[in-house]
Amino acid sequence: MQFSLFALLSLLATTTTVAASALTITIPPSTLLPNPNVLPAGTHAALTSLPSSTQTKSGSSLPHPLTAPLTRSSTFVFRNLPVSKPESYLLDIRSPEYVFAPYRVDVAADGTVLGVWETFRGNPWDNRGQEKFVVDVADSGKTSDVTVEAKVLARKGFYEKRATFSPLSLFKNPMILLAIVALGFTFGMPKLMENMDPEMRAEFEAQSRSGPLSGATRSAMTGGGSPADFDLAGWMAGSSKGGSNSGAGGSAPQGATTGRDGGGSTRRRG
Amino acid sequence: MRLQATLLVLASCVPSAFAIYPDEVNHVDFHHALLGVPSSHSTFFLKPSPSSNASLLYTLSEQSLLGAINPRDGTLIWRQNVSRSSLPGDHGILRASDGANAVVSAVGDYVSSWSALDGKLIWENWFEGEAVTDLELLELEDATAAASSAKDTIALFGGKAGVVRRFDGDSGEVKWEYKDDSNDLPFQVSSSATEVFYISLQSALLKGNKIKVTSLDTLNGRQNHHVVLNSESDVSGPESVLFVGANTASPLIVWADKANKSLKVNVIGTKQVSTLNIENTSGEEIQSITVHTAKKLNSLPHFLVHYETASGSWAEVYHVDLKSAVASKAYSLPFLQSWSVFATSNVDANVYFTRITESELTIVSSASHGILGRWPLPATLSERGVHAVSEVVTKGDTVAVRSAALLESGDWKLIRNGQIEWTRYEALFGALAATWAEADDQEDLAHQLEVEGHESLIKAYVHRVNRHVHDLQYLPDWLKELPTRVLTSLVTDEVSNLDGFGIHKSVIVATENGRVYALDSSNHGTVAWSVKAAEADSWDVKSIITRPGSATVYLDDGSSVTLNTTSGAILDRAAATTQVRSIAFINDDGTPLAIGIKPNGAPMDSVDRPGFFVTQSDDGRVLGWSAKNSKSPVWDFAPVPGQKIIHATTRPSHDPVASIGKVLGNRSVLYKYLNRSLVLVTAVGDNTASFYLLDGISGKILHVSTQEGVDTTQPIASAMSENWFAYSFWGDATDPSDAKGYQLVVSELYESSIPNDRGPLDSAANYSSIDTLPLPHVVSQSFIIPEAISHMAVTQTRQGITTRQLLCTLPASNSLVGIPRQVLDPRRPFGRDATAAEAEEGLFKYSPFLEFDGKWYLSHTRDVAGIRSVISTPTLLESTSLIFAYGGDIFATRATPSQSFDILGKEFSKMQLLLTIVALGVGVAILSPMTRKKRVNQIWKATS
Repeated sequence: MQFSLFALLSLLATTTTVAASALTITIPPSTLLPNPNVLPAGTHAALTSLPSSTQTKSGSSLPHPLTAPLTRSSTFVFRNLPVSKPESYLLDIRSPEYVFAPYRVDVAADGTVLGVWETFRGNPWDNRGQEKFVVDVADSGKTSDVTVEAKVLARKGFYEKRATFSPLSLFKNPMILLAIVALGFTFGMPKLMENMDPEMRAEFEAQSRSGPLSGATRSAMTGGGSPADFDLAGWMAGSSKGGSNSGAGGSAPQGATTGRDGGGSTRRRG
Repeated sequence: MRLQATLLVLASCVPSAFAIYPDEVNHVDFHHALLGVPSSHSTFFLKPSPSSNASLLYTLSEQSLLGAINPRDGTLIWRQNVSRSSLPGDHGILRASDGANAVVSAVGDYVSSWSALDGKLIWENWFEGEAVTDLELLELEDATAAASSAKDTIALFGGKAGVVRRFDGDSGEVKWEYKDDSNDLPFQVSSSATEVFYISLQSALLKGNKIKVTSLDTLNGRQNHHVVLNSESDVSGPESVLFVGANTASPLIVWADKANKSLKVNVIGTKQVSTLNIENTSGEEIQSITVHTAKKLNSLPHFLVHYETASGSWAEVYHVDLKSAVASKAYSLPFLQSWSVFATSNVDANVYFTRITESELTIVSSASHGILGRWPLPATLSERGVHAVSEVVTKGDTVAVRSAALLESGDWKLIRNGQIEWTRYEALFGALAATWAEADDQEDLAHQLEVEGHESLIKAYVHRVNRHVHDLQYLPDWLKELPTRVLTSLVTDEVSNLDGFGIHKSVIVATENGRVYALDSSNHGTVAWSVKAAEADSWDVKSIITRPGSATVYLDDGSSVTLNTTSGAILDRAAATTQVRSIAFINDDGTPLAIGIKPNGAPMDSVDRPGFFVTQSDDGRVLGWSAKNSKSPVWDFAPVPGQKIIHATTRPSHDPVASIGKVLGNRSVLYKYLNRSLVLVTAVGDNTASFYLLDGISGKILHVSTQEGVDTTQPIASAMSENWFAYSFWGDATDPSDAKGYQLVVSELYESSIPNDRGPLDSAANYSSIDTLPLPHVVSQSFIIPEAISHMAVTQTRQGITTRQLLCTLPASNSLVGIPRQVLDPRRPFGRDATAAEAEEGLFKYSPFLEFDGKWYLSHTRDVAGIRSVISTPTLLESTSLIFAYGGDIFATRATPSQSFDILGKEFSKMQLLLTIVALGVGVAILSPMTRKKRVNQIWKATS
């Protein structure tokens, strides 16, 4: 009994194979996927729709959802679409790393593909996108094989990049840049001043004394340009007055009150 | 300002919170890509490329997975699931031919050909209702047809009548078919260089079967002639024929008489049957006879017959005279008191036989009995061998051999010249249950602390001092180890030594073949031990429950086996009682207790402890029980007529809640509806699915949602944690303006819809589920997701402070994805951008489509196939949750949903820190004399 049923089914299957058109999806090379041959063997396409309730009750001899594995030529072939009624399928292509655009595939009751459109997930099923294929009504007597091209939307990035230590990245830090500029001033300015002619130097000194330059820069010029005297933190905080001491205080206790007014204090002591 | 700062923090942590770093791969995770137990007739070495001499190991497993293994290290190169037949396919058939780059498989009514190098499809074909009984590749000698490298396939389909079909090697199209209209039983096909033979069993008049050989033309499939062999006295069915020769120069049919006294050999196509006496010197009854021949077309017509008795085995080698078609005995391999497995291999036309016994591996040529190579085996091969394949290389007089042997335990080992190169634990495929082992080394300390807690202040203090003095004995060892520990910590991958934080737990796995494995998660999941725990060949494990130091496996017949988790020794066995449906576990305080649940949903016995169960019964109801009363349920729940309960889920047993409310952007609070005893029941009807949220104590329905247009044949998964639950299904467009696709619905439960309101119960410390249980305020949102989810779980951490991830198994893309909870917040604003207050909460605009971000993939690029269940467990680190997936492959990883905030990451380099300190020290040492000098000079110069 079961065998005869199977035989009948197989007869049906062979007859529908004749009428039905095969649906082939090709993967063209694209900028995201220059060589479709790199896709792993697990890549497959699936046609999904709600099976009719009679189909589910009969134990579903038809495979569901329909899947097609990736072939050697980077295509997916649905050879015979076993349908009993007009069906509107969602076509997904699943690959571990690449995201493909979903398509809508409408199939007639005799298994011919009526049309293939792009579709958008989370949008009404009616909202069809770009048309990929639509059956020609004029010669509907002939069934032809349908070939559509898949579209790669994106490539998934699975990994987080680890921040690696590179000296170059140090220089991208604005604090470090500021520090370097400041260092340049402290070392470079005295040299510049020495090379200047005396008149101009006098003029510049007068100007900088009355000008808006912060105390640190002034002390850098007046205090002999010692790098150890320069208080970077204080300079960046913009504090011009108050008891900000230099770090070298510990080693030279008598010079604890040096700093930007160091010249004055030492003179007083003398 | 503060708001902006918070926003910045949120924005920086929401999008890129979880992905794995490339250098953590294989360090935080491990994966066993499995195929299942390789079947004996469909496993072989093959050179897929004609240009290269390298060969791969191919198999079609008993679970219908087709795969290629690299014989060098045992890694899987590709695999395909070929169980696409609608027929209940028994074991499949796999055939291939050297240098053809194609393997052809048949399972049930599905025939497919795959590219041998990369596993991509060449062709596939279905013949509905006709199961393939045999498959051969045509090896034609005439060069005309074999001009292309693709070899045609001959397949025999059984069904009502036997059909032989020839498939084109490139396109898979049927070139011809031959239908056998007689009522013979289709048995095998075989081919020689010039003809195709169809072998069927013709029932004789009285009893037994005659073997009928029909010769077919290779070009058009027409019948040339047929021969009937008088075998009715010996052959009672297909199982009596020992062998039908495949693709040798002289294909054979071999069968034995019923008393196993003589062997009958027929060269296919001739009428002659040679009768050979079996010289049984062992004095024991022969239990099985196996025939091994070479599979290559041009190989010598020699074959080996392997005789097995209860205690040992021997083999005899026969030669076939091609002219007279008579087989004669050449020599015999001695009887050994051990199991043996034999394998044949070819080098050009020469045939070599490899014999593996429990102690050694020997190799002989088919031409003479001299042993060409003999290697003793390591003692680890204690399990009985099932089958083996081998590959022999000759260089002058020396031979080298590598054999892939399958042992009874399901271990697949590659033995190269007597050395075990690798082992694949194929029995782990389709594991039934798994859980983490609990180490018992902390038990003693816990006990001591408990003692201290219960004593008076002074006594406890004395106890503690004593304990510390006692601990001093470990100090010298600790000090001795210290330098090496400091040094190694500078160079190891992991910055912090995490051994003490419960990261490296071993996993206990119970497999289908009645074995229990312990996988060492600190060492790439290697098998620490494996034991045969079942007394039968297979078992139905309901649950594994671990206690410190031991694990107990509970079976469906009410029995249980307890094992030591460190050694695998069987500590205890409990006898079978009655059939159980599942195991309930009471673990409130004191001794943990397991109670079996009968198929009708009733617990086996009642205990005098507070507690309640929710059980499912075989007749499709959900029952609630008090632990004290196993006679009658407190409540029972049945869905509406026409619906069937398929799944029920609860909150995990370890599910701490860090905060009882959710602080909104305007500093008001939405209080979570927290109920320890929630049950989410999934019931399906005709294209509908209903999700019932029940209170487990009273059975009261708290919330129902019904979805239309649901494909109930596709997976419907659900999970619950804290005050939220999620489920997914295939939802079809019932209306053209609906969306079509897989949907994920997430719902949150609150005490009230109004912030700062706690509903009728307010902040009552106690409430009754039975009298006045208020209904929760449910907020839901649904998303379209790109693919089906077959199983859901939730990450568990120690305190529940870390945000949770919804762990989803994606069967279509063979991966495991952890969706962060922030994304699945049903309060995401709909149709507008989030306001500043909402953004502060971490909410962003709702979009109906939820694409799985690559960074959410816990399995990253791994192909984790066939996962049936995912379990999660907390570690002592709040940030880290352990995840273990089983059921097909084995995959384990560590998830850090809010990033590893409590451990130093790999980017923290101790070396760099040390170098910086040294550099600073050097700088200070150089600069300080300089400055001192300068300052002194300055003073002198200024005063002068």
